[in-house]
Amino acid sequence: MLEALFYIFAAMIIGSAAVTAFTKNILYAAFALLFTFFGVAAIYVLLSADFLAISQIMIYIGGILVLIIFGVMLTTNVSIVDIKEGFTGKTSFIIAGIFSAITCIFFIYLAFKMPFINHAPKDVKLPNDSTIKPLGKLLMTNYLLAFEVASVVLLIAIIGAAMIARRHDD
Amino acid sequence: MVKYFKDILLGFWTIMVGMKITMDHLFQKKVTMQYPERFDPIDTGFMPDNSRNKLFVDIDDCNGCGGCERDCPVNCITVETVKTVPSDGPITIKSGAKRTLWVLKHEIDYSKCCFCSLCVESCATSAIFHTKEFDYSGYDRNELKHDFVSYSDEEKQKKLDNFVAYQIVKKQEDAAKKAADEAAKAAAAQITK
Amino acid sequence: MGNFVFDLIGKNIVAALVICIIPLVFILPYALIAILGELKIGAWMQDRVGPMRTGWKGVLQPVAEVVKLLQKEDITPTIANKPLFNLAPFIVFIGAFAAFAVLPFSEKFIPSGINLGLFFVFAVGSFAVIGIVMGGWASNNKYSLLGAMRSVAQIISYELPAGMVFLSIATIAGTLDMQTIILNQSGPIWNWYIFGGPQGGAIKFLFIPFFVILFIVYLISSLAETNRTPFDIPEGESEIVAGYHTEYSGMKFAMFFMAEYANMYVVSAIIVILFLGGWSSPFGTSFMDGPIWGIFWMVGKAFFFVFVQIWLRWTLPRLRVDQLMYLGWKVLLPLSIACFMAIAFLAMIN
Repeated sequence: MLEALFYIFAAMIIGSAAVTAFTKNILYAAFALLFTFFGVAAIYVLLSADFLAISQIMIYIGGILVLIIFGVMLTTNVSIVDIKEGFTGKTSFIIAGIFSAITCIFFIYLAFKMPFINHAPKDVKLPNDSTIKPLGKLLMTNYLLAFEVASVVLLIAIIGAAMIARRHDD
Repeated sequence: MVKYFKDILLGFWTIMVGMKITMDHLFQKKVTMQYPERFDPIDTGFMPDNSRNKLFVDIDDCNGCGGCERDCPVNCITVETVKTVPSDGPITIKSGAKRTLWVLKHEIDYSKCCFCSLCVESCATSAIFHTKEFDYSGYDRNELKHDFVSYSDEEKQKKLDNFVAYQIVKKQEDAAKKAADEAAKAAAAQITK
Repeated sequence: MGNFVFDLIGKNIVAALVICIIPLVFILPYALIAILGELKIGAWMQDRVGPMRTGWKGVLQPVAEVVKLLQKEDITPTIANKPLFNLAPFIVFIGAFAAFAVLPFSEKFIPSGINLGLFFVFAVGSFAVIGIVMGGWASNNKYSLLGAMRSVAQIISYELPAGMVFLSIATIAGTLDMQTIILNQSGPIWNWYIFGGPQGGAIKFLFIPFFVILFIVYLISSLAETNRTPFDIPEGESEIVAGYHTEYSGMKFAMFFMAEYANMYVVSAIIVILFLGGWSSPFGTSFMDGPIWGIFWMVGKAFFFVFVQIWLRWTLPRLRVDQLMYLGWKVLLPLSIACFMAIAFLAMIN
């Protein structure tokens, strides 16, 4: 049953991601991301990463996606703009194609080089318990620096946003 | 800073006051009257005297002058009359005046009536007036037409026939009278000759 | 603890389906009762009698309204964006329904006893935001779009104080699991978190004001998150027709409506779980306690807060947009952060 669920969610991720990539309506792309993010969260759940899954929903759907949709909708007439318009010459098409092919080959190479592909344990034991306690401990001990640096980045972002939004009295 | 906290407390307090008021009203006696079961304007006569509602015609008091029909701006009143004949005897309307017209039809189409009260003002005998009733309805627009005359068709026909017969009789009488007059004139002329 | 469905049927797919269906079976009659409550209480507070014709004293009025909505023509505006227009009500309802997955009804029944219940409720609230924006944009109507914009700005603003309240209770309870939070508060009434929680010592009485302030902060922000009066500016009739659901009719409007009422229960249940001991009896563990009484207490307490929401709706006028932002960012957020610090201190000294 879990495998069936995995394939359902995987199909959902790939299908909605394809909509995001190929649709000409930019708002369709934004709303298709909803299903992509949700499917990824479901895959996290299947991997017993419950905290990560809920964080995915909260940050990506509740935060980033709302931001994207707001940005798209508040821009004038963006919903009827044909994305294909603009800089689409033959040269740029060829350059983009070459770069995409290189990136694709690199990722495939990387995937087969990764240890979890070559040395996958025969039966993975998923943790039965919640991951929240070990995660919290690790974030407060081994990875404290990364955690704090991330919060500094957020603080800088907030200060920057406040600076931009401030009224300039000069 | 003090004002900030004062504002918060005041806001909270006023919300509490408002909630207490609505809570009091939750258990108060309701003012709604369930309309068809209880209907105060008619039951207690609360309706103001100058209110203009459904029209009513006291047909015994109607002299059939047709003033209401002529004055009605929306043509909702239809009056049909026929003259009385001497054989009907000495008849009067309710208020005492002599009746010269039989009212054969006095129909008001309530779906057209605009409650302007012009018919009431034009009525010489105050036979048409507003009642206190206003909530009338019907499934068909013809249900909202009301004829105040209660004569049956035979009676109406008889009155028409009487009038026609009386006209014939009167014609004959007139002719006879005319002939008599002429005869008298001729006789007078002969005498003067 | 545990789940009575699993005890009865065993851990299989049928049991999982039954568990999924139980909250849905709960929502439908609850929505009818809440609609009736809204009509009747609103009428009584205005000295009217409310609907009186359908059934005894009008108790069947919500049934009549639902039947009416089902019969109504399902209109899609010609220039609306059809796929998104049709999808939006369901996304909004999914957001409301997903939260039921972690709401316990009793000691013996919680659809999903994950350890992150509180966090999950907080996260799935964002589905409603997406659905509202989707519906507002796809309607191709100025008022709908304005309503959606207002709604999102409001929900995002008020998620912050609500999040601080969640964080405070999670800190003092030491867990995000709904059942454990409730279990912490079982016992006599002064073990509830609104009265300072179960941790011993007279010092907790010094902290009761902070808990009460947090309780009020969450009550206010929950009203804002469910778009209820006095925070119903996204659907303010006098300003923007009906906000994001202006163009919806029939069944799709009913979905929006049901999502709103389901959300009312969700936030009420969270208030009850966080501050008022969830399914635990106010008379201690000996009297009127147990799995069956648990349903009574949980649903009863939550219904009381649904009543409070209705009560507030018929008491207060609508806020202006700037007042809403002032209240959210300058009053509730500082207050909740201050209370969070105080409660973190209490958790530290325990």
